[in-house]
Amino acid sequence: MNGRYNMVLSGVGGQGLMLLSNVIGTACAQEGLPVITGEQHGLSQRSGSISVHLRMGEGTYGPLVPPGDADVMIAMEATEALRYIEFLRDDGYIIMNTRLMHHPLETMRHVREDAATEPYFSLDEVRKRVRSVTPNVLEVDALHLAEAAGNARAENVVLLGAACGLPGFPLKKETVKDVIGGVVPEKTIDANMKAFDAGDGACCDAFG
Amino acid sequence: MLANEAIARAVVESDVKVAAFYPGSPTSEILDTVSMFSGEFKDLTMEVSANEKVAFETAVGASLAGVRSFTSMKSVGLNVASDAFFSVGYTGVRGGMVLLVADDPHAHSSQSEQDGRFYAYPAHVPMLEPSTAQEAYEMTKWGFELSEKYSTLVLVRTTTRVNHQSAIVSVGEIKRSPFHRASWKDVGAHYYTLAATARRLKGEALERLSHIREEFEQSAFNIIEAGEGEVGIITSGVSYLYVREALETMDSRPHVLKLATTHPLPSDLIGTFLKDKRRIVIVEELMPYLEREIRSIAHERRIDVEIRGKLSGDFPLVGEYNVPIVRAGIASSLDIASADSYADVMSRAESLKEGLPVRSPIFCPGCPHRGTFWAVQQALKETPYVLNNDIGCYSMFLLEPYEVTDSLLCMGASLGLSSGMQHVLNDKVVAFVGDSTFFHAAIPGLLSAVHNNHDLTLVILNNSVTAMTGQQPNPGSDFGAAPVTKLDIPSVVKGLGVPHVAEVSAFEPKDNVETFKEALSYRGVSVVISHGPCALYNDRLKRHAGTPIVPNEVSHDTCQNIYACIRGVHCPAIELDTATGKSTIRSELCNGCMVCAKMCPVSAIYSTRGDDT
Ligand SMILES: Cc1ncc(C[n+]2csc(CCOP(=O)(O)OP(=O)(O)O)c2C)c(N)n1
Repeated sequence: MNGRYNMVLSGVGGQGLMLLSNVIGTACAQEGLPVITGEQHGLSQRSGSISVHLRMGEGTYGPLVPPGDADVMIAMEATEALRYIEFLRDDGYIIMNTRLMHHPLETMRHVREDAATEPYFSLDEVRKRVRSVTPNVLEVDALHLAEAAGNARAENVVLLGAACGLPGFPLKKETVKDVIGGVVPEKTIDANMKAFDAGDGACCDAFG
Repeated sequence: MLANEAIARAVVESDVKVAAFYPGSPTSEILDTVSMFSGEFKDLTMEVSANEKVAFETAVGASLAGVRSFTSMKSVGLNVASDAFFSVGYTGVRGGMVLLVADDPHAHSSQSEQDGRFYAYPAHVPMLEPSTAQEAYEMTKWGFELSEKYSTLVLVRTTTRVNHQSAIVSVGEIKRSPFHRASWKDVGAHYYTLAATARRLKGEALERLSHIREEFEQSAFNIIEAGEGEVGIITSGVSYLYVREALETMDSRPHVLKLATTHPLPSDLIGTFLKDKRRIVIVEELMPYLEREIRSIAHERRIDVEIRGKLSGDFPLVGEYNVPIVRAGIASSLDIASADSYADVMSRAESLKEGLPVRSPIFCPGCPHRGTFWAVQQALKETPYVLNNDIGCYSMFLLEPYEVTDSLLCMGASLGLSSGMQHVLNDKVVAFVGDSTFFHAAIPGLLSAVHNNHDLTLVILNNSVTAMTGQQPNPGSDFGAAPVTKLDIPSVVKGLGVPHVAEVSAFEPKDNVETFKEALSYRGVSVVISHGPCALYNDRLKRHAGTPIVPNEVSHDTCQNIYACIRGVHCPAIELDTATGKSTIRSELCNGCMVCAKMCPVSAIYSTRGDDT
């Protein structure tokens, strides 16, 4: 691989983002690819916004991706793609889960303003806005694909599979799958492999 | 591996026998990792202490008795341990001992942007500062060697961006020596500091430091990277990485001195670096610690060099650094006009994010604090009150949608503040502490209040773990790295002589209102202990035990759009079905705590297990 490859992972606390970054980091180690990650997580509550920066390739540099420098972004929740959009380079790739998780403050506002049937901030809106930065947006219904693979908790693996299918992604799919196989509970390995392939397939259909 | 894991690895490779901790971001993973190692190596004792002072003293005690020891804490943790820390600066240690302190620029998860570097100087303790995970590992190991060589405590100082960096770290072998109990007479020394002894020890400490400085002058961890011209940059810690990256995109090629030994500073090395320069740029986060020291080194040596940094206004004093900030700071220090190439990206992002709902931290589904607070608020409805909050997940009552917190200073302060306020105010004075905070620093405040006949109500939110930092055990927990004795909070409170003590279950908000009313109307010190396990901790226990987590559901036939479940609960698992305007529960998020069901006036919420409440 030539140069540096920058990734930003984003999502909501409790979605398994840390596992994702650990898997990618370990896979880099196995392939002898230098990697540094910076976690941007607050405290341990669920439901807050979290992000992880991952940087692969030679050179001495810090744990954070500078604005406009990420080659790819994996968003485990759609609005979390928009929340960190400044990190993506123009025409970078976004792997975006189509799932939306509505924060209690947003729900509270609807109730307070007597607007219970007004739509939440929508996927359409997110889509429209992120597409102004890049046309390379892959939307993945990760929950659906994970359920079909046999494990609803494997949404993160679906999205990782999709990232691994991107042109220019610096890690071999086999390495990543091996690492996943080593960290998930034994009885879910099969479902996780299927989840990975489903994501990979979705990506190859779109960008292959 | 995470830098914190690398530090733990260094601790184990260094044959540390006793490690004691109190958790705090961004160091908690060190504790968690050492805890795992202690399961594997029986000669390694690891424990969680009641607070940082006790943890530090425990490690010092083990060191004085002759073995290597370790503790780590967050920036403000050292404030708690500082009394002992200053004395140990005088006495020195026997077995190698490293204290790791992590500052938190940007106050990501702390109450202040405290700069711990200023502790090293007055305490006469040498300080090392790594930039990367690899260095964190290596310098921790070096710290133990230095500590033994000079019989001194060694401080390793990190920042959040170092601790929470993860990278490939090449590590050594773990070779543990067998542990043998020693005898105090073999130590053959005394460790106290008072009056004449204090004066003698201070002299010795300063003498020690001058030798350590000589060693630091030669250290391979202090690196000079040659550039071009008469401009130099001096930096340390994670700022060094930002400097390297910023320079990649700039035209100038200044010389760079990266300092890893930041007390005592290698003044000869720095002097030599300054000598042939016209201008020096200091890149450091938090306060201008290096900048002031380096100004004085230049002054002492009569070196005519312009020093730029924070004091000259080129770099910000508030917040953490990143590549764009460092780039702008270097450009400004060198009087280069820098087109901020990030400004466009940032302003575009800002406009794209207009109207994007915030996702601030909020209580987890199943969190016991939610129900406790609801009941307290109902009980206080007619009463003017002041709420002194404390440190823990319940600190979030200061955030939207609650915004109910009149003060929050530091761990345990709610008690002392309440004591002061009840002398002055007409209002009902209420203090909140979690179980961990209670044991950490609230007990002296509570017994003072009892002794002095104060009038206040303390609510102890007992979720059986230190939740916010990652659900570590505290003295009220029934687990630890080694077998523990669980302390019973109600017995402790009664033992302190509190005249009015009540207990409630956090998940019965409506039933608890009366109990809180009684406690709040009691004239004197009253304590209500609200029990209910942390949801994250409890869910994990359930998953291990194979007990299913059964979510709730809303019956849309029964629901009458009253929204008690939304207004009173603020749970991430509850949303609106915007087609019908009714509440719905996301089964994959719901923890089945039933608090929302108990709030619903028309009983529209039921457990999918079938046992309707
Ligand atoms: C002196 C000090 N040490 C450690 C911390 C880190 N810290 C932040 S929140 C917290 C947890 C307190 O636990 P508890 O009072 O039980 O509340 P919970 O989070 O469980 O609700 C700790 C230890 C701190 N802020 N200050």
